[in-house]
Amino acid sequence: MENKEVKIIINSDLKNVSLVGRAIHELCAGISRFRVEPYEIELCVVEAVNNAIEHAYGKEKGHEVEVRFSLGHDRLVVDICDTGKPMDVRLLEQADQSMPETHHDGIHAIAEQGRGLPIIKEIMDTVIYETKSGKNRLSMTKFFG
Amino acid sequence: MELEHRKQDGVLVVKIMNNRLDAQGADDFRNRMSELISGGNRCISLNMSGVDFIDSSGLGAMVSVLKLMGQDGDIVISGPKESAMRMFKLTRMNKVFRIFDKEEDAVLALSTR
Repeated sequence: MENKEVKIIINSDLKNVSLVGRAIHELCAGISRFRVEPYEIELCVVEAVNNAIEHAYGKEKGHEVEVRFSLGHDRLVVDICDTGKPMDVRLLEQADQSMPETHHDGIHAIAEQGRGLPIIKEIMDTVIYETKSGKNRLSMTKFFG
Repeated sequence: MELEHRKQDGVLVVKIMNNRLDAQGADDFRNRMSELISGGNRCISLNMSGVDFIDSSGLGAMVSVLKLMGQDGDIVISGPKESAMRMFKLTRMNKVFRIFDKEEDAVLALSTR
């Protein structure tokens, strides 16, 4: 059976992120065999698109962020693509152990940033980042069952 | 970011009126809350019952607000939906913020501190 795919392209403006998030949420809510909460997939996509806008494009508007949603028989794959500054892949590797700690050293030691990638890695089964021909792609896969 | 607030039993009760607390609204939320704290409010109950979605930027803004409260202040959360609770647990922020199902319990906890 062929994969079903949806592609969404937005301008690199944070005000557009919720549109993508809501669309992904609705797409996930319509998958009867999908046991993961649609909110969690929406959250991963929003975090990845935020990263593309804020870090790859430095919050500069007018660039494309592409979201590819692909549904296979045993998995869901969401790719987030941009053509901005590539991410340091070590950030993704370190994200396994880097959910910021809570308050062992008091509230002022609690990080205000840096939870996006750890959240994605916590929820998704596989996360891959690559840059080819000037295009960055964060590919997130969630298996069913 | 639209916030409604009122004083009750010495506690400032703030309700987030937007259904998303995300990267788009995080700075505004932080600034609005900062104004309320600068105005002398040291005990705040934050009603999140209308928030359907929170991302790491929204959560970061909440941590920032917590820090602004300082040692002599306190902020608690009431009424988070399942999605917001999932986010708090995922990031272990449920260990940092005191969270109540009902607004009246959150206000009571602060008014008797």
